[in-house]
Amino acid sequence: MEPNSLDYEKQLKQLNKENRILTKKLQRSQERQIQLEENNQRKESLFKRVILDLEKSRDISEQQTMELSAALAKLKTTQEQLIKSEKMAALGNLVAGVAHEINTPVGNSVTAASTLAEETTSFANSVSTGKLKRSTLNNYLELATEASEIILSNLQRAGELIQSFKQVAVDRSSLERRTFPLKSYLSEILVTLEPQLKKTPHLITVTGDDTIQINSYPGAFAQIVTNLITNSITHAYPTNKPGYIRLEVHQKSEQIVIQYQDDGCGIEEQHLNNIFEPFFTTNRDQGGSGLGMHIVYNLVTQKLKGVIKVTSQVNLGTIFTVTLPLSDS
Amino acid sequence: MFKVVVGHSNDPDSVEAVAEILEQCLESLAGEIPQAGILFAAFDFDHSLILKEIKQQFPDLELIGGTSSAEVSSRLGFQEDSLTLMLFCSDEIEITAGIGYEAFQNPRAAAKQAIEQAQSKSSQEMSLGLSFIDGLHLGSSKIVKAIEQELAGKIPVFGGVTADSLKFEQTYQFYQEEVCTDVITMLIFSGKLLFSAGIGNGWNSLSKPKKVTKAENNILHEIDGKPALEFYQYYLNDSSPSLKYPLAVFEDNSDKFYLRVPNTHDSQLNSVQFFGDIPQGATVQIMETDAQGILNSSQTSIADALKNYPGNKPEAAIIFSCTTRSSVLGIAAEEEYKGISSYLDSDFPSIGFYTYGEIAPLQKDGAICLHNETAIALILGTK
Repeated sequence: MEPNSLDYEKQLKQLNKENRILTKKLQRSQERQIQLEENNQRKESLFKRVILDLEKSRDISEQQTMELSAALAKLKTTQEQLIKSEKMAALGNLVAGVAHEINTPVGNSVTAASTLAEETTSFANSVSTGKLKRSTLNNYLELATEASEIILSNLQRAGELIQSFKQVAVDRSSLERRTFPLKSYLSEILVTLEPQLKKTPHLITVTGDDTIQINSYPGAFAQIVTNLITNSITHAYPTNKPGYIRLEVHQKSEQIVIQYQDDGCGIEEQHLNNIFEPFFTTNRDQGGSGLGMHIVYNLVTQKLKGVIKVTSQVNLGTIFTVTLPLSDS
Repeated sequence: MFKVVVGHSNDPDSVEAVAEILEQCLESLAGEIPQAGILFAAFDFDHSLILKEIKQQFPDLELIGGTSSAEVSSRLGFQEDSLTLMLFCSDEIEITAGIGYEAFQNPRAAAKQAIEQAQSKSSQEMSLGLSFIDGLHLGSSKIVKAIEQELAGKIPVFGGVTADSLKFEQTYQFYQEEVCTDVITMLIFSGKLLFSAGIGNGWNSLSKPKKVTKAENNILHEIDGKPALEFYQYYLNDSSPSLKYPLAVFEDNSDKFYLRVPNTHDSQLNSVQFFGDIPQGATVQIMETDAQGILNSSQTSIADALKNYPGNKPEAAIIFSCTTRSSVLGIAAEEEYKGISSYLDSDFPSIGFYTYGEIAPLQKDGAICLHNETAIALILGTK
């Protein structure tokens, strides 16, 4: 009995101890569970906050997108307005040029006509007073013939000028489609630019295939050539050295290639990628709008459905190659 | 003669637990009278009662210790809510204890007090110190620095910051029969003691090394002139700093580092608060690890300690490992001590506790410093 009761007592003691250990472990694991639950709750509320923050920032970014879209639309409108006003300014220049150019033949005609008028009055007096001499008659006839010729040739010149200006101006403002001989049309455009070109030492030629007829928008060509030439005059010859600008047209299978080449200072490589960007100019100080080449790019690619490429070498010159479909209709 | 015995009880009842460890020790002592001891106890025990019981059993025992997050020993392995005691007997080594009070207010005076008190009871030259200090006021690195300054390189000190299982409410230090807070306890071994140590942390760099450009005590404001919190969040994918991402601190262009654990952060000031000071001008790196890194490094620490032991018959091992390491390991926490003990004979006495900071020289014969998230293995003997 004695050893048995000792064993029981020992076992009981051991069981009691294990019970205490298990209770403690349970207590610790309950504490950990509470901690875990608290942690989970914290994480949950953190998640909720994060989601709320995300929603808020999504709302903000939506608002910003809307504002940006509005700003972009406004910018586009402004850009279009600028382009339009640039076109109007070009037209204004054209009108001023026309006025100036026509002034000369008209002036010449007026001078010749007034001389003729004076001489005719004097001649009429001689006739009425009966003092008319043969020499006076001969002199008058000579002068009248000369004056008539001067008047006629000058008025013809004025007529030609008006004709070509009219064509270009009408094309510019109306941008209507028609079939026209490309090379001679390019030459006509140059005539309209004469007032500006006269002030410069540059030589401009148009060469190439005379037979190319194109059904397209002549006004677009006028604007393209005007802008290319204005661009060269403004940028390519800073030292005012006489330049040689060549326009060459030829047909290549179903395409027409217009190559425009100047021998100016060239465009630096870093700018070459930007020159067709709206508002890109290296000449803003002197009033460059940065729209000229952008207009050229838009006209070639959108209106004429063509492609324009530029290559340039500093100090050697710049080449613009415009490739157009023979007919895009 | 140098004899070391260990008692370990996982009985949550204080009376039963202390009775059990004393019974185990007495049995192992086989009549020898212990000179000194170290005691690690879970926070929930009645510590006064336990110390009184031990004192009653061994009236002349020089005892220090403290509360811990978990305890390990050669008797029960890894345990939470347990009580473990290591006793030292020797007729050649003198082991004496000292205490310094008000450590946070005046760490230098407290360190001096503790060292002098222990030293005054010994007639031989000091060879090693063990120290347990309070860890709740985030000033532990200052206390360790004070100990280093007071000792001026005379002996190395190992030990740990007492803990309370990540509750951060209260930790206690034990000195003889006293249960204290805010003290430095010190056990000094004098005479011809042989020892060696190994340090393993197992953390790998996550960030580039950067310079601390603004820090105040344990608050890190700027790294490379940028807010510390931003530096952390850049590498942590905007998560907040946590104990899983400590900072390695390299001082004076050294390639050896200690770790500092982030405690909290201030989103307004973009600063991060650490357990322990961050010196301005030091180079820091965010570190990361995984369970395997932790386990490998603690085995490195014991392997290094055994390899470097200057004698051929060590008598005991003492392990200090950071509470955060057991928290990274989670339910595999017991694996760390299992790995360490695989290097030791089954009857080789070992003891250890999970700390809020580990005290050890940064390298052999180097300055004593406060580590975090590190495992330190210390091997003792006389032969």
